Amino acid sequence: MFTQFRQISKKRSILFPVILLSLAILIQACAGNTATPTLPAEGTAHQGVLKVALQPIVQTDPAFISSDPEVIIANSIYDYLVDVTPQNTIAPRLAREWTVSEDGRTYVFTLVENATFHDGTLFKADDVVWTFNRLRDPDVDSPTKDLYSNIEDITATNKFEVTFTLKEPNPFFLYDLSDNHALVLKANSTEPGADFIGTGPFKHVSYSPEDRLVVEANEDYFLPNQPRLEGVEFIFFNDQTAQTEALRSGQVDLVMLLSADLFTTLNDEPGLIPLQAATNSFDVVRLRSDQSPGDDPRLMQAMRLATDRQAIYDLVIQGYGAIGRDTPIGPMYSQYYSEDTPLPERDIEAARQLLADAGYPDGIDFELHTPDTGNRPNLAVVLKDQWSEAGINVEVIVEPESVYYGDDGWLAVDLGITGWGSRPYPQFYLNTMLTCDANWNESHFCDDEFDRLATLAGTTMNENERVEAYNQIQEMLIERGPILVPYFFAQLGAISDKFADFQMKPFPGRSDLSTVHLADQ
Amino acid sequence: MTTAPKSPSIALDVAPSWWRRLSLLLRELYSKPISALGTTITLLFLLAAIFGPLIAPYGENEIIPSEARQPPSSEHWFGTDNLGRDVFSRVILGAREILVLSGLGTLFAVICGTLFGLLTGYRGGWFDEITMRTFDSLLALPALLLALLLLGTVGNSQYSVLIVIIIVYTPIVARVVRSVVLTVKPKGFVEAARLGGETQMYILIHEILPSVWPALSVESALRFSYAIFLVGSLGFLGVGVQPPSPNWGLMVKEARPFASLIPWALFFPAAAISLVVIGVNLLADGMKRILGTTRTSQSRS
Amino acid sequence: MTVIDSGDGTILDIKNLTVAYQQAGEWLEAVREVSLRIQGGETYGLVGESGSGKTSLVLAVMRYLEETGSIRSGEIHLGDLDLLALDDNQLRQVWGKQITLVPQNPQSALNPSLQVGDQLIETLRHNLNLSQEEAERQAVEWLKTVRLPDPGRVAAQYPHQISGGMQQRVMIAMALCTDPQLLILDEPTTDLDVTTQAVILDLIRDLTQEQNTGILYVTHNLGVVAQVCDRVAVMYASELVEDAATQELFSKPLHPYTQGLIDSIPRMGDTKDNIQLRAITGQIPPIGEAPSGCVFRTRCPVAVDICLTRPPLYPAGESRYSRCHRWSDIDQGEISAHQPTPAAIPEPIKPDSGQHPDLKVKELTVHFPLLRSISDWASNRPSSEVRAVNGISFELSPGHTLGLVGESGSGKTTIARTIMGLEEKLSGSIELLEIPLPDKLSRRDLDTLRLLQMVFQNPEEALNPHHTIAETLRRPLIRLSGLSDSEAESRMVELLQAVRLPASYAGRLPGQLSGGEIQRVAIARALASNPELIILDEPVSSLDVSVQATILNLVGELQADLGTSLMFISHDLAIVGYLADQIGVIYLGSLMEITGPDDLFQSPHHPYTEALLSAIPLADPSRKGEPIHLGGEIPNPVDLPSGCPFHTRCPRYLGEICATQAPPWQVAEETGKQIFCHIPLAELSASQENMIAERSKLSN
Repeated sequence: MFTQFRQISKKRSILFPVILLSLAILIQACAGNTATPTLPAEGTAHQGVLKVALQPIVQTDPAFISSDPEVIIANSIYDYLVDVTPQNTIAPRLAREWTVSEDGRTYVFTLVENATFHDGTLFKADDVVWTFNRLRDPDVDSPTKDLYSNIEDITATNKFEVTFTLKEPNPFFLYDLSDNHALVLKANSTEPGADFIGTGPFKHVSYSPEDRLVVEANEDYFLPNQPRLEGVEFIFFNDQTAQTEALRSGQVDLVMLLSADLFTTLNDEPGLIPLQAATNSFDVVRLRSDQSPGDDPRLMQAMRLATDRQAIYDLVIQGYGAIGRDTPIGPMYSQYYSEDTPLPERDIEAARQLLADAGYPDGIDFELHTPDTGNRPNLAVVLKDQWSEAGINVEVIVEPESVYYGDDGWLAVDLGITGWGSRPYPQFYLNTMLTCDANWNESHFCDDEFDRLATLAGTTMNENERVEAYNQIQEMLIERGPILVPYFFAQLGAISDKFADFQMKPFPGRSDLSTVHLADQ
Repeated sequence: MTTAPKSPSIALDVAPSWWRRLSLLLRELYSKPISALGTTITLLFLLAAIFGPLIAPYGENEIIPSEARQPPSSEHWFGTDNLGRDVFSRVILGAREILVLSGLGTLFAVICGTLFGLLTGYRGGWFDEITMRTFDSLLALPALLLALLLLGTVGNSQYSVLIVIIIVYTPIVARVVRSVVLTVKPKGFVEAARLGGETQMYILIHEILPSVWPALSVESALRFSYAIFLVGSLGFLGVGVQPPSPNWGLMVKEARPFASLIPWALFFPAAAISLVVIGVNLLADGMKRILGTTRTSQSRS
Repeated sequence: MTVIDSGDGTILDIKNLTVAYQQAGEWLEAVREVSLRIQGGETYGLVGESGSGKTSLVLAVMRYLEETGSIRSGEIHLGDLDLLALDDNQLRQVWGKQITLVPQNPQSALNPSLQVGDQLIETLRHNLNLSQEEAERQAVEWLKTVRLPDPGRVAAQYPHQISGGMQQRVMIAMALCTDPQLLILDEPTTDLDVTTQAVILDLIRDLTQEQNTGILYVTHNLGVVAQVCDRVAVMYASELVEDAATQELFSKPLHPYTQGLIDSIPRMGDTKDNIQLRAITGQIPPIGEAPSGCVFRTRCPVAVDICLTRPPLYPAGESRYSRCHRWSDIDQGEISAHQPTPAAIPEPIKPDSGQHPDLKVKELTVHFPLLRSISDWASNRPSSEVRAVNGISFELSPGHTLGLVGESGSGKTTIARTIMGLEEKLSGSIELLEIPLPDKLSRRDLDTLRLLQMVFQNPEEALNPHHTIAETLRRPLIRLSGLSDSEAESRMVELLQAVRLPASYAGRLPGQLSGGEIQRVAIARALASNPELIILDEPVSSLDVSVQATILNLVGELQADLGTSLMFISHDLAIVGYLADQIGVIYLGSLMEITGPDDLFQSPHHPYTEALLSAIPLADPSRKGEPIHLGGEIPNPVDLPSGCPFHTRCPRYLGEICATQAPPWQVAEETGKQIFCHIPLAELSASQENMIAERSKLSN
């Protein structure tokens, strides 16, 4: 291809720039990493190397990881105390079993006794204590320090027993313990994350930033028959299309976090298994409610009336996921999700009327800010078209993600689209985006009744009370909330059919690679 | 030495008017199939740019959910895109934006470049030295890279793209103009004007500029085609343009993930860029041929 | 493939050749039914002005016509070889071996990136299949043959390192070394200085006498033809109008065009005060626009009705032809083919010599600094400079004409440009009407600018190609003379009339005018501000001879009418001698001699003037004078010779004194001529008298 390239440029053809553009697409598709480091083949139980396409990672210290690629890599090298299943339930990992006191303040975990770190040291209760103390240490400043601020004390009550004492009862504490960051490190690690010493199913072999990270099977893993693979190569791609093409060409075996567009193109591809995981990930269109014009809830109502959710569901996420109901509590939380409050049908006239009532009989102009990632630009474009019929004229402003989220600009803009990842329980969204003092209250929403309900739902140990509070919250948000949640999308991915038993989780980074094996074994 | 016989179409008894020159130019352009093709393509796109809203059957962001991702048909000549927008309408409507943006950018670049080229070429000295070295260093950077750097600093909007085109192409135009000025400056008629007590401004505009026109118009056409390409490329990279703009480059970018699913949504805007760039290039080549021969037919041995 | 002589010794036989160019679907004939025959050892001159078709004829013989050109009919034989039947491969065998060419511009013919010796060796090896050693040996031999000094050193040099004259000698060596059947010389000396030209012509004459090569010598210069050719064919408007032995053609031209051409050249000794040049009226028709019948009839002084039919090429004696119906009348002296003699230009009113001079130049020195190289800068060498003009003084009286003569590089144009303010002087003074002129053009006010105007050399660049003649002429009228628009309009028409151009030309663009017409407009523009002094810088050097004459006449007439002072710059002694009241001969930025026109040909002469005079090829084949050869090349003006600047090449070099001391200005008693030389005037007179007497006779 490159010889041909040069010939063209020699001729100084006027076609050159044109061809360059078209080739750029192809080259990107064909580019990638060709060097294949060999893995040491120890033992015969482990077979096959899974190649996973990921966006490049930045963080390797579990206390600070955030993106799916960072989490899946850490998750394969380290272990959680307790894990979350694809069905959103809590499962044991380094903790074999646990008991909760009646007042809901004391958790006692019994640990596995046969786990060793990759350097050979035995895993003990001290490691758990050290890890969680580090995570809640304000000096370390991990994003988890607030999450664990409710912990009063962590004690190694035995060589293989740890006791957590809470200040207040927390019904979601087990979920909190399985937070993405809560991977257990060796006690007193001097360079956490840099030495890649964990108890996990895979051991670190090599890491060349921006290129790849290679791990091999941990022969001494504490779970029987795990891992089954010989190793995993995480290969970094900056571009999703390139990842897709790499999957097509067999250069990689697993791609996750696919856009609906790319997923559709892979759907019928022979040799590939499409992966879908229902999640509570959503894009939220939020209007600042603390200033004009959003301080009048009729504006958001008008926007709701002007929105055609089915069309958005079909066009933007192409039917992979669920239609949203303008609350962050999606159908994934089957126990809390409610469809009792009816969502208004699309009604352009009513929307116009509301606008007129709010003082905008001739329509209203907005800038609609959105990061340039995912489906958000497409959502913005479709909303622009739908809302224009009701006189809501938006100018779409697409910004690079780093710009949109940088300097907290996303908290400042009036009308914006923000993506929210999936969490194991819904309380997180209420506490971080909608209560008066929420850290990321991007809509600047503040409602005493809402805060009361959110606090109740987040503290009661009574499940029925919680369900009732969540129901009321959903009703309140549909009536006067500052946000529009058009859909929840499924996580999409695809894996080569050479591999079996891969289950993608709602947060794809949490997917477990230790059970994956070659299909013919 | 060789007596090149005069072209009869140019040999008139009086100086031809501008309108007549234009019609002569068109006639010459249509005398060779290649330049006729280039002219036709360019004119077609200009028509699309002017009358786009009258031609396009749908709006630029008119979303028809039920007709998303449809292949070309009698209803949608170029098919529909991922969001159910008519690709034909968007390509037609995109002509205006891309041609106006690149046209304006080229125009300003040509004005600035001509200004700099005239002044540096005519005055020489340290002014020439400093300006041209600065321009040289600008030229050392690839246009697209320079564009991205500039967009990073001046912000991401259409005006920025305009500024980028001006900054990227001013040095190139200035060089072309300067080189013509350097050949014209020592000629007798310029010195005669100096001896006639003419001001520098008068000499630049009335004596030198007319000689710059042929090279300048060819260069402008060439720059125009590259500016189109630059705007398209920037759109493809998603900078300097906001959705749902029917910028052809942005359309290619948006359709790229669907290359195998709905290839028409990618092909037609990409073809539009190629076609208009090729068209304007062929036109520029034709102009070069014609304006070049006009000049030599005026010279005598 | 060799060519065998076709028995009668004919090398090149052209029969009824017609060459045409396609233009917008029409065939325009550039050569019409021309026949020529060149014998072995014969030098055949092909004379014509631009547009006559001589170049097309040469290209046709070379089979090298451009894409739009085509040989429509006729035959060309090189010996037995039918040139028109050859394919490209066979042509390549012929080119460079059997037919060779010496072009006008050797610079473009030599490969700039190869040493000249290697180029010659390559030619020898390629065409004669010589071994490298043999080719090297012969190459040096050939460089010696073309009289290059130190051939070994020249062989190792690149073309740009040697002068134009030397380049042309190398070209001649390359053209002759393959022992070609036919050598075509295409204006080989046109770009050279007159002294260099004399040397090259000598060389050509000598070399061709020794060989059996047929030579086609293409030129516009009748003097050159007379010096080197055995036979001459004259072309006009695509047709061959006269073909005769050189001697016969010059002594008795049998075509009115040939006669006019000969008459157009100012003879040495002619001055505007005693004779007007007999120019041919009208101008050469552009290709395809020649009149029907006799192509010359519209300009012919003796045209009659019969001339409306096309004359055949009449045999007019033994191997002599004329395409004129009235050739026998001319032959028998019944009619005169001369153009009517215009009245002598009336003596202009020249104010008393007691008056103050218009222009006074004193010790003018102009140097151009050269850019210092980095190594110069590093070694702290002083920046060098081109010493273009070195202490020149002269005065120009009102209504008079000063002629400056010099070869290229003499500084004559720099003097003019410095006076005009286009260059800055280093020292000395320039006074106009007793007022010192500021150096910089921008410091001169409009009144000063109005008084001084200039006519430039190159008609192609003299007028802005994008402005109509009216626009060009109106501007100085408004700007300098301060006329209103309507006044300027009527004055503009007057100016056009003054330079003998119809008022209808006002709307034309320069591209629609011929070179001569453009120079008239340029003169009109110079006159527009009614200046005190006009400097004409080689105004006719790029014009055809017949046009030259009309411009020279016009300049003379206008000066007589208006009394404007003129400074006339030329490389051509005859032209300057014709127009000027006072002549300055310049060499390397210094004046060598100041003389009146009547005394120009009177001894004593400065040795340089003497060499110049002797080098002029005279349009009289019976007088093939021996030119004085100047040794070496003109020194580089960066490194001026000490003492007398001419001493390095002076044939009368005295010794030490010339190289060390600047010569004195000596004044000849009878003539008032001033000579810048160490040799006593009496001594100069004594040795020069004979030669000059001989040559000045020719002017009558």
